[in-house]
Amino acid sequence: MSNIPEISIPAEKIGQIGPLVINNAMMAFIGTSLILIILAFLIRRNAGIKPTRLQVAFEVLVEEILGKMTLAFGSEKKARKFFPLIFTIFIFFLLANQFMLIPFVESIVTPDGISLFRLPASDYSLPIAYALFVIILSHVLAFSTAPIKHIGNFIKLKQFTKIRSIKEIPMAFIDFFLGILDLVGEFAKLISISTRLFGNMFAGGIVIAIISGLTVFTRYFVPIPFVVLGILSGLVQAFVFAMLSILYISSITNAVKPQEQAN
Amino acid sequence: METEAVKLLAAGLCMGIGAVGSALGEGYVGGQALEAMARNPKLADKLFTNMIVAIALAESTAIYSLVISLIILFVF
Repeated sequence: MSNIPEISIPAEKIGQIGPLVINNAMMAFIGTSLILIILAFLIRRNAGIKPTRLQVAFEVLVEEILGKMTLAFGSEKKARKFFPLIFTIFIFFLLANQFMLIPFVESIVTPDGISLFRLPASDYSLPIAYALFVIILSHVLAFSTAPIKHIGNFIKLKQFTKIRSIKEIPMAFIDFFLGILDLVGEFAKLISISTRLFGNMFAGGIVIAIISGLTVFTRYFVPIPFVVLGILSGLVQAFVFAMLSILYISSITNAVKPQEQAN
Repeated sequence: METEAVKLLAAGLCMGIGAVGSALGEGYVGGQALEAMARNPKLADKLFTNMIVAIALAESTAIYSLVISLIILFVF
Protein backbone atom coordinates (compact mmCIF):
# COMPACT_ATOMS: atom_id res chain seq x y z
CA MET A 1 0.00 0.00 0.00
CA SER A 2 1.48 3.39 -0.87
CA ASN A 3 1.13 6.33 1.44
CA ILE A 4 -2.17 5.97 3.29
CA PRO A 5 -2.09 8.65 5.98
CA GLU A 6 -2.15 8.05 9.73
CA ILE A 7 -5.75 7.38 10.77
CA SER A 8 -6.57 7.90 14.41
CA ILE A 9 -10.03 7.67 15.89
CA PRO A 10 -9.50 10.25 18.68
CA ALA A 11 -8.83 13.75 17.42
CA GLU A 12 -5.17 14.74 17.55
CA LYS A 13 -3.95 17.16 20.20
CA ILE A 14 -2.68 20.51 18.98
CA GLY A 15 -2.15 22.55 22.10
CA GLN A 16 -2.97 22.92 25.72
CA ILE A 17 -4.35 25.74 27.84
CA GLY A 18 -3.76 24.73 31.46
CA PRO A 19 -5.57 21.41 31.96
CA LEU A 20 -7.71 21.82 28.82
CA VAL A 21 -6.45 19.89 25.77
CA ILE A 22 -7.21 21.54 22.42
CA ASN A 23 -7.55 19.16 19.50
CA ASN A 24 -8.19 19.79 15.84
CA ALA A 25 -11.88 18.94 15.99
CA MET A 26 -12.26 21.77 18.50
CA MET A 27 -10.61 24.19 16.05
CA ALA A 28 -13.13 23.29 13.36
CA PHE A 29 -15.91 23.64 15.94
CA ILE A 30 -14.76 27.18 16.75
CA GLY A 31 -14.52 27.95 13.03
CA THR A 32 -18.07 26.75 12.39
CA SER A 33 -19.43 28.73 15.34
CA LEU A 34 -17.74 31.89 14.02
CA ILE A 35 -19.28 31.31 10.58
CA LEU A 36 -22.72 30.87 12.15
CA ILE A 37 -22.38 34.05 14.22
CA ILE A 38 -21.28 36.08 11.20
CA LEU A 39 -24.16 34.68 9.12
CA ALA A 40 -26.68 35.51 11.83
CA PHE A 41 -25.33 39.04 12.09
CA LEU A 42 -25.49 39.55 8.32
CA ILE A 43 -29.08 38.33 8.06
CA ARG A 44 -30.28 40.35 11.03
CA ARG A 45 -28.70 43.56 9.80
CA ASN A 46 -30.77 43.70 6.60
CA ALA A 47 -33.88 41.97 7.90
CA GLY A 48 -37.18 43.52 6.94
CA ILE A 49 -40.52 42.95 5.31
CA LYS A 50 -38.85 42.82 1.90
CA PRO A 51 -36.45 39.95 2.45
CA THR A 52 -32.98 39.53 1.06
CA ARG A 53 -32.13 36.23 -0.58
CA LEU A 54 -30.23 34.89 2.42
CA GLN A 55 -33.20 35.72 4.63
CA VAL A 56 -35.54 33.83 2.30
CA ALA A 57 -33.31 30.77 2.43
CA PHE A 58 -33.35 30.79 6.22
CA GLU A 59 -37.10 31.36 6.33
CA VAL A 60 -37.56 28.22 4.22
CA LEU A 61 -35.53 26.20 6.70
CA VAL A 62 -37.32 27.73 9.70
CA GLU A 63 -40.74 27.01 8.24
CA GLU A 64 -39.82 23.37 7.45
CA ILE A 65 -38.49 22.60 10.90
CA LEU A 66 -41.24 24.49 12.70
CA GLY A 67 -43.87 22.59 10.69
CA LYS A 68 -42.42 19.24 11.63
CA MET A 69 -42.08 20.27 15.26
CA THR A 70 -45.71 21.41 15.41
CA LEU A 71 -46.74 17.99 14.13
CA ALA A 72 -44.68 16.24 16.78
CA PHE A 73 -45.49 18.44 19.78
CA GLY A 74 -49.14 19.08 18.99
CA SER A 75 -49.30 22.83 19.38
CA GLU A 76 -47.18 25.61 17.94
CA LYS A 77 -46.70 27.19 21.35
CA LYS A 78 -44.99 24.09 22.70
CA ALA A 79 -43.00 23.72 19.49
CA ARG A 80 -41.66 27.27 19.81
CA LYS A 81 -40.37 26.53 23.28
CA PHE A 82 -37.94 23.94 21.93
CA PHE A 83 -37.38 25.58 18.57
CA PRO A 84 -34.11 27.46 19.30
CA LEU A 85 -32.38 24.29 20.54
CA ILE A 86 -33.44 22.08 17.65
CA PHE A 87 -32.78 24.70 14.97
CA THR A 88 -29.33 25.44 16.36
CA ILE A 89 -28.51 21.73 16.28
CA PHE A 90 -29.79 21.56 12.70
CA ILE A 91 -27.89 24.45 11.17
CA PHE A 92 -24.79 23.71 13.24
CA PHE A 93 -24.59 20.24 11.76
CA LEU A 94 -25.54 21.50 8.30
CA LEU A 95 -22.46 23.70 8.31
CA ALA A 96 -20.12 21.57 10.42
CA ASN A 97 -20.48 18.45 8.27
CA GLN A 98 -19.31 20.39 5.22
CA PHE A 99 -16.42 22.14 6.93
CA MET A 100 -13.73 20.30 4.96
CA LEU A 101 -15.05 21.72 1.69
CA ILE A 102 -13.68 25.17 2.50
CA PRO A 103 -10.63 25.58 0.25
CA PHE A 104 -7.16 25.18 1.76
CA VAL A 105 -8.50 24.18 5.17
CA GLU A 106 -6.99 20.72 4.85
CA SER A 107 -3.53 22.12 4.06
CA ILE A 108 -3.02 24.17 7.24
CA VAL A 109 -0.62 21.99 9.19
CA THR A 110 1.07 22.37 12.57
CA PRO A 111 4.86 21.98 12.72
CA ASP A 112 4.39 18.33 13.74
CA GLY A 113 2.56 17.51 10.53
CA ILE A 114 -0.92 17.28 12.07
CA SER A 115 -3.58 19.07 10.10
CA LEU A 116 -5.12 21.94 12.03
CA PHE A 117 -8.78 21.23 11.20
CA ARG A 118 -10.86 18.07 11.26
CA LEU A 119 -14.60 17.56 10.97
CA PRO A 120 -16.14 18.34 14.39
CA ALA A 121 -18.42 15.33 14.24
CA SER A 122 -15.53 12.99 13.47
CA ASP A 123 -14.37 13.16 17.09
CA TYR A 124 -16.61 10.77 19.00
CA SER A 125 -17.05 13.21 21.89
CA LEU A 126 -19.10 15.76 19.95
CA PRO A 127 -22.04 13.57 18.87
CA ILE A 128 -22.12 11.97 22.31
CA ALA A 129 -22.22 15.41 23.92
CA TYR A 130 -25.14 16.57 21.78
CA ALA A 131 -27.02 13.31 22.24
CA LEU A 132 -26.48 13.32 26.03
CA PHE A 133 -27.74 16.87 26.20
CA VAL A 134 -30.93 16.15 24.27
CA ILE A 135 -31.77 12.94 26.11
CA ILE A 136 -30.97 14.24 29.58
CA LEU A 137 -32.95 17.41 28.83
CA SER A 138 -36.03 15.40 27.88
CA HIS A 139 -35.82 13.29 31.03
CA VAL A 140 -35.22 16.22 33.36
CA LEU A 141 -38.14 18.14 31.86
CA ALA A 142 -40.49 15.18 32.13
CA PHE A 143 -39.32 14.45 35.67
CA SER A 144 -39.84 18.03 36.79
CA THR A 145 -43.34 18.13 35.31
CA ALA A 146 -44.66 14.92 36.85
CA PRO A 147 -42.12 12.78 38.74
CA ILE A 148 -44.29 9.81 39.73
CA LYS A 149 -45.88 9.50 36.30
CA HIS A 150 -42.53 9.71 34.55
CA ILE A 151 -40.97 6.95 36.64
CA GLY A 152 -44.16 4.99 36.29
CA ASN A 153 -43.73 4.96 32.54
CA PHE A 154 -40.58 2.90 32.96
CA ILE A 155 -41.17 0.87 36.10
CA LYS A 156 -44.73 -0.21 35.53
CA LEU A 157 -46.21 -1.25 38.84
CA LYS A 158 -49.73 0.02 38.31
CA GLN A 159 -51.04 -3.13 36.71
CA PHE A 160 -50.11 -5.19 39.78
CA THR A 161 -52.80 -3.34 41.72
CA LYS A 162 -55.43 -4.22 39.16
CA ILE A 163 -55.07 -7.99 39.12
CA ARG A 164 -58.37 -9.70 39.62
CA SER A 165 -57.69 -13.28 38.66
CA ILE A 166 -54.69 -15.57 38.63
CA LYS A 167 -54.62 -15.50 34.83
CA GLU A 168 -53.59 -11.84 34.67
CA ILE A 169 -50.37 -12.28 36.63
CA PRO A 170 -48.17 -13.34 33.64
CA MET A 171 -49.42 -10.33 31.64
CA ALA A 172 -48.53 -8.05 34.54
CA PHE A 173 -45.04 -9.47 34.67
CA ILE A 174 -44.63 -9.07 30.92
CA ASP A 175 -45.68 -5.41 31.20
CA PHE A 176 -43.13 -4.88 33.95
CA PHE A 177 -40.42 -6.48 31.84
CA LEU A 178 -41.32 -4.29 28.87
CA GLY A 179 -40.96 -1.24 31.09
CA ILE A 180 -37.45 -2.27 32.07
CA LEU A 181 -36.71 -2.88 28.39
CA ASP A 182 -37.79 0.72 27.69
CA LEU A 183 -35.26 1.85 30.26
CA VAL A 184 -32.49 -0.03 28.46
CA GLY A 185 -33.81 1.50 25.26
CA GLU A 186 -32.91 4.94 26.54
CA PHE A 187 -29.24 3.98 26.59
CA ALA A 188 -29.65 2.40 23.17
CA LYS A 189 -31.05 5.72 21.91
CA LEU A 190 -27.96 7.52 23.15
CA ILE A 191 -25.53 5.12 21.50
CA SER A 192 -27.48 4.84 18.26
CA ILE A 193 -27.97 8.52 17.60
CA SER A 194 -24.36 9.42 18.33
CA THR A 195 -22.77 6.46 16.53
CA ARG A 196 -24.83 7.08 13.41
CA LEU A 197 -23.50 10.61 13.08
CA PHE A 198 -19.94 9.72 14.05
CA GLY A 199 -19.79 6.73 11.71
CA ASN A 200 -21.03 8.65 8.70
CA MET A 201 -18.66 11.58 9.17
CA PHE A 202 -15.57 9.62 10.17
CA ALA A 203 -15.93 6.98 7.49
CA GLY A 204 -16.49 9.62 4.81
CA GLY A 205 -13.12 11.19 5.56
CA ILE A 206 -11.37 7.83 5.73
CA VAL A 207 -12.71 6.61 2.40
CA ILE A 208 -11.43 9.72 0.65
CA ALA A 209 -8.04 9.43 2.37
CA ILE A 210 -7.68 5.78 1.38
CA ILE A 211 -8.75 6.32 -2.22
CA SER A 212 -6.33 9.20 -2.61
CA GLY A 213 -3.53 7.16 -1.10
CA LEU A 214 -3.92 4.04 -3.24
CA THR A 215 -1.83 4.98 -6.29
CA VAL A 216 -0.76 8.26 -7.77
CA PHE A 217 -3.37 8.00 -10.52
CA THR A 218 -6.30 7.80 -8.12
CA ARG A 219 -5.54 11.18 -6.55
CA TYR A 220 -7.17 13.18 -9.31
CA PHE A 221 -10.75 12.63 -10.54
CA VAL A 222 -11.39 9.33 -8.79
CA PRO A 223 -12.26 10.77 -5.34
CA ILE A 224 -15.00 12.97 -6.82
CA PRO A 225 -17.93 10.50 -6.40
CA PHE A 226 -16.86 9.81 -2.84
CA VAL A 227 -16.71 13.53 -2.02
CA VAL A 228 -20.23 13.95 -3.42
CA LEU A 229 -21.38 10.99 -1.32
CA GLY A 230 -19.80 12.65 1.72
CA ILE A 231 -21.63 15.92 1.06
CA LEU A 232 -24.97 14.15 0.66
CA SER A 233 -24.54 12.06 3.76
CA GLY A 234 -23.56 15.17 5.75
CA LEU A 235 -26.81 16.93 4.78
CA VAL A 236 -28.95 13.88 5.44
CA GLN A 237 -27.33 13.12 8.79
CA ALA A 238 -27.84 16.70 10.00
CA PHE A 239 -31.53 16.42 9.17
CA VAL A 240 -31.88 12.96 10.71
CA PHE A 241 -30.19 14.07 13.95
CA ALA A 242 -32.54 17.04 14.28
CA MET A 243 -35.62 14.94 13.50
CA LEU A 244 -34.67 12.25 16.01
CA SER A 245 -34.03 14.89 18.70
CA ILE A 246 -37.52 16.27 18.06
CA LEU A 247 -38.94 12.75 18.29
CA TYR A 248 -37.19 11.91 21.54
CA ILE A 249 -38.04 15.15 23.30
CA SER A 250 -41.67 15.12 22.16
CA SER A 251 -42.30 11.46 22.96
CA ILE A 252 -41.00 11.74 26.52
CA THR A 253 -42.61 15.07 27.34
CA ASN A 254 -45.94 14.03 25.81
CA ALA A 255 -46.04 10.86 27.90
CA VAL A 256 -46.30 12.89 31.11
CA LYS A 257 -48.93 15.29 29.89
CA PRO A 258 -52.02 15.43 32.10
CA GLN A 259 -55.16 13.93 30.59
CA GLU A 260 -56.63 15.99 27.74
CA GLN A 261 -57.78 19.36 29.02
CA ALA A 262 -60.35 21.24 26.97
CA ASN A 263 -58.10 23.53 24.86
CA MET B 1 -3.27 -17.75 14.86
CA GLU B 2 -1.45 -14.55 15.61
CA THR B 3 -3.27 -11.49 16.87
CA GLU B 4 -2.65 -9.42 13.75
CA ALA B 5 -4.27 -11.96 11.47
CA VAL B 6 -7.30 -12.41 13.72
CA LYS B 7 -7.67 -8.64 13.97
CA LEU B 8 -7.85 -8.22 10.21
CA LEU B 9 -10.18 -11.18 9.85
CA ALA B 10 -12.50 -9.81 12.54
CA ALA B 11 -12.65 -6.35 10.97
CA GLY B 12 -13.46 -7.75 7.56
CA LEU B 13 -16.12 -10.15 8.79
CA CYS B 14 -17.73 -7.52 10.99
CA MET B 15 -18.32 -5.05 8.19
CA GLY B 16 -19.21 -7.73 5.66
CA ILE B 17 -21.94 -9.36 7.69
CA GLY B 18 -23.31 -6.02 8.83
CA ALA B 19 -23.79 -4.71 5.31
CA VAL B 20 -26.16 -7.47 4.22
CA GLY B 21 -29.13 -6.51 6.37
CA SER B 22 -28.78 -2.82 5.63
CA ALA B 23 -28.72 -3.36 1.86
CA LEU B 24 -31.85 -5.52 1.99
CA GLY B 25 -33.70 -3.00 4.14
CA GLU B 26 -32.79 -0.01 2.02
CA GLY B 27 -33.75 -1.78 -1.18
CA TYR B 28 -37.15 -2.60 0.27
CA VAL B 29 -37.73 1.00 1.37
CA GLY B 30 -36.69 2.31 -2.04
CA GLY B 31 -38.94 -0.13 -3.84
CA GLN B 32 -42.00 0.72 -1.79
CA ALA B 33 -41.31 4.44 -2.20
CA LEU B 34 -41.05 4.10 -5.97
CA GLU B 35 -44.29 2.18 -6.13
CA ALA B 36 -46.06 4.80 -4.04
CA MET B 37 -44.65 7.57 -6.25
CA ALA B 38 -45.89 5.78 -9.35
CA ARG B 39 -49.37 5.47 -7.88
CA ASN B 40 -49.59 9.10 -6.84
CA PRO B 41 -47.17 11.32 -8.77
CA LYS B 42 -48.39 14.52 -7.14
CA LEU B 43 -46.94 13.52 -3.78
CA ALA B 44 -43.58 12.55 -5.32
CA ASP B 45 -41.54 15.31 -3.59
CA LYS B 46 -42.86 14.59 -0.11
CA LEU B 47 -42.38 10.87 -0.62
CA PHE B 48 -38.83 11.42 -1.82
CA THR B 49 -37.87 13.45 1.24
CA ASN B 50 -39.32 10.88 3.62
CA MET B 51 -37.68 8.08 1.66
CA ILE B 52 -34.28 9.69 2.14
CA VAL B 53 -34.86 9.93 5.89
CA ALA B 54 -35.96 6.29 6.04
CA ILE B 55 -32.90 5.20 4.10
CA ALA B 56 -30.63 7.06 6.51
CA LEU B 57 -32.29 5.28 9.42
CA ALA B 58 -32.07 1.86 7.75
CA GLU B 59 -28.38 2.47 7.14
CA SER B 60 -27.74 2.89 10.88
CA THR B 61 -26.95 -0.71 11.71
CA ALA B 62 -24.41 -0.95 8.90
CA ILE B 63 -22.79 2.22 10.28
CA TYR B 64 -22.61 0.64 13.73
CA SER B 65 -20.73 -2.37 12.37
CA LEU B 66 -18.49 0.00 10.39
CA VAL B 67 -17.58 1.84 13.58
CA ILE B 68 -16.88 -1.43 15.41
CA SER B 69 -14.65 -2.67 12.59
CA LEU B 70 -12.77 0.65 12.50
CA ILE B 71 -12.26 0.43 16.27
CA ILE B 72 -10.96 -3.14 15.89
CA LEU B 73 -8.52 -2.07 13.18
CA PHE B 74 -7.16 1.14 14.63
CA VAL B 75 -7.43 0.94 18.39
CA PHE B 76 -6.56 -2.65 19.24
